[in-house]
Amino acid sequence: MSLGIAGMGWVTPLGSGVTSVWNRLLEGDKATAETISSPLGQDYPVFRVPADALSHAPAHPRLRRSSAISRFAVVAGLEALENAGIKIGPETAARMALIFAVSNGGVIYTKRFYHDIVESGAQAASPLLFPETVFNAPASHLAAILGITGASYTLVGDGAVGILAMKMAEDLMTSDALDYCLVVGAEEADWLLCDAYRKWRLLRSAPPIEPFQRPPKGMIPSEGAGAILLARDGTLRVEQIASGTNFRKQREAGEGVQKVFAELCRPQPDLVVASANGTFIDAAERAAISRICPNAEVYAMKGAIGESVGASSLWQIICAAQALITQKLPELPEPTSLKSAVVSTCGLNQQVAGLRLTL
Amino acid sequence: MNESPPQPKRVAIVGAGVVSPLGFGLTETLHSLRSARDCVTPVNAFDVSKTRCKTAAQIDDVRLLPRTAKSRRDRRLHRASHMVITALDELLQQAHDFTPEIAIVGTTSGGMTFGEEYYRGLNSGERPSQHAASLIANYTPQKPVMDAQEAFGITAPCQVIANACASGTNAIGHAFNCVRSGRYQRVLTGGYDAISELVFVGFDSLQASTPERCRPFDRERSGMVLGEGAAILALENLEAAQARGANILAEVIGYGISTDNHHLTQPNPSGRGARQAMEAALERADISADEIDYINAHGTATLFNDAAEGKAISELFDGVPVSSTKGMMGHSLGAAGAIEAVFSILALQNQLLPPNINFRHGDDGLDLNIVANSARSAPVRTVLSNSFGFGGTNASVILRSINL
Repeated sequence: MSLGIAGMGWVTPLGSGVTSVWNRLLEGDKATAETISSPLGQDYPVFRVPADALSHAPAHPRLRRSSAISRFAVVAGLEALENAGIKIGPETAARMALIFAVSNGGVIYTKRFYHDIVESGAQAASPLLFPETVFNAPASHLAAILGITGASYTLVGDGAVGILAMKMAEDLMTSDALDYCLVVGAEEADWLLCDAYRKWRLLRSAPPIEPFQRPPKGMIPSEGAGAILLARDGTLRVEQIASGTNFRKQREAGEGVQKVFAELCRPQPDLVVASANGTFIDAAERAAISRICPNAEVYAMKGAIGESVGASSLWQIICAAQALITQKLPELPEPTSLKSAVVSTCGLNQQVAGLRLTL
Repeated sequence: MNESPPQPKRVAIVGAGVVSPLGFGLTETLHSLRSARDCVTPVNAFDVSKTRCKTAAQIDDVRLLPRTAKSRRDRRLHRASHMVITALDELLQQAHDFTPEIAIVGTTSGGMTFGEEYYRGLNSGERPSQHAASLIANYTPQKPVMDAQEAFGITAPCQVIANACASGTNAIGHAFNCVRSGRYQRVLTGGYDAISELVFVGFDSLQASTPERCRPFDRERSGMVLGEGAAILALENLEAAQARGANILAEVIGYGISTDNHHLTQPNPSGRGARQAMEAALERADISADEIDYINAHGTATLFNDAAEGKAISELFDGVPVSSTKGMMGHSLGAAGAIEAVFSILALQNQLLPPNINFRHGDDGLDLNIVANSARSAPVRTVLSNSFGFGGTNASVILRSINL
């Protein structure tokens, strides 16, 4: 089943707005890393969303106490609808499903909530924070703001979860009760995640992220959201989605990536938007690209805007879509004609998936 | 010439496995349902001296872990992984040749206790160890599903749904839709959750959990108790299942989902969200409300849930037997809908109405036919099972005895 992309929304460390962020990427801009310190004395670099990127967030009661992840998602989701020219009302909302992709979720409030328990005991636990720790809290806020009363799903996974969400959307859109499916991926950055990735030996201690460099030197977390509004019509088509597979060990990731490429690269795409981020993922993708689609242009956006895990594959899809629409690619002033793109996502924790876009 | 839309496929359940405080496997579980076993016990996994609620329904690790923790690697897995492995093992004993194209499983908190252990280690200033990396790798919600698949050589892609307490039913419902549409032939589905301090204290902080007994739909209900467990179901295109001679446990015939935007943690008091999900499930099943023989309610025993759900049930159904099984085994969150789907299968197979224990007085505002305190025999051909969760997620599935 082929679906059309009707609209997109983007919140990143390079600001918000699809056109604006894409133009900055085309100009070669890279997000500036901020240092965040853990209370234990360790400093970590992260790419954060600048405050002005959220200046047009709605003043909705649901966002009063919500965590950053919910704000990112709402701004991106609303932009996708606006971009598609859709004014949301009860009738549209009733025929729209929401699928939310996330990896770490509302980690800032979760950490705060549990910290209070550890430091002061259960009686100090905040009933205001707890509901925001639940994985589907951001989806609930977004659904409430949009007035969606039907299907709303939150999917959890690693960096591949956004593609799995797109696959779920494709499956849902077989129902003629739906006209649209809004797929949103979001993540917020926190020192706790940085600490975890450091102990997992995936973190680089200072920028830059250097995708495809040997040896891999690590990634830097970032935050934000990506939103894609899927419809049945549209010139930009999601032609094929590969739910992929799971790999047991990092060194086995390449096999999974090759399987996804073998499924998506017939015929060879003009462009591959890779998930390479300066970790073991790079070698897995490099091998698949050189074996299966050696002539494709390759773009790895994480060097410019970081590893946003749950949001990252939505960001990659937006990059691929923008490359096809604008016929431009960062780091490559004059690409050959771009008619098709494969988005490859290899997650940090065992999931691999991908999709193919055509214009 | 216009193409007519593809005919919806019928969806069979060809295998099921369960582990919960009520037992390991279908046989033990059935026995516990029949005997109205109360599995709620004092919590000893973490400090509950400062919480109002001090009890939960818990799975005994002495039974759970030796079954599946055979190698050094297995012993590093989260206990949620061991639960899913145990449930999948039982399923594959019934449907040993079942090879899913995708796994769709629900959870709310994944390997949360590993996150807690990691944070406590950090906070106490312990030196990081290799163990810390293992905690992180095994903390993520997709991991127990992949661990279980790996234990049996399955490599299906995993969609892990985290729709709070509706996750398990949402997973089964979406899996049903996938097979019904004809896009998939075989889908592995279900739900899991293991008790954690963060979640236990969270519900306690909201005063949603009770220091007393859990009394769903009782006038004097005072809240829920937590539970844990896992249930995995194998869904298959009915025709294909019949063609290969599979043993069919039941048929999934309907699924409804709704989103209630009233509040992040409280249902709309009108019961509108719950009603919308049940109506959608009936519509999808193409049956009327009076064809339902038993409702396995969400029934958390909180004031708000039972009032809203009870109102929706009493408006939509006329005297259908209703029970919440959470009085016996607590609320297992993301696992609840899947475990309760297994209870529904057992109800269909054994013509049994599972009991709603600790029930003393009906709520004056609710006109419900509660299966009070002990299991009853009754003709059961069609069952509706509800799950509702934080974020306003509401889900209902309808299961039916196989009618070939």
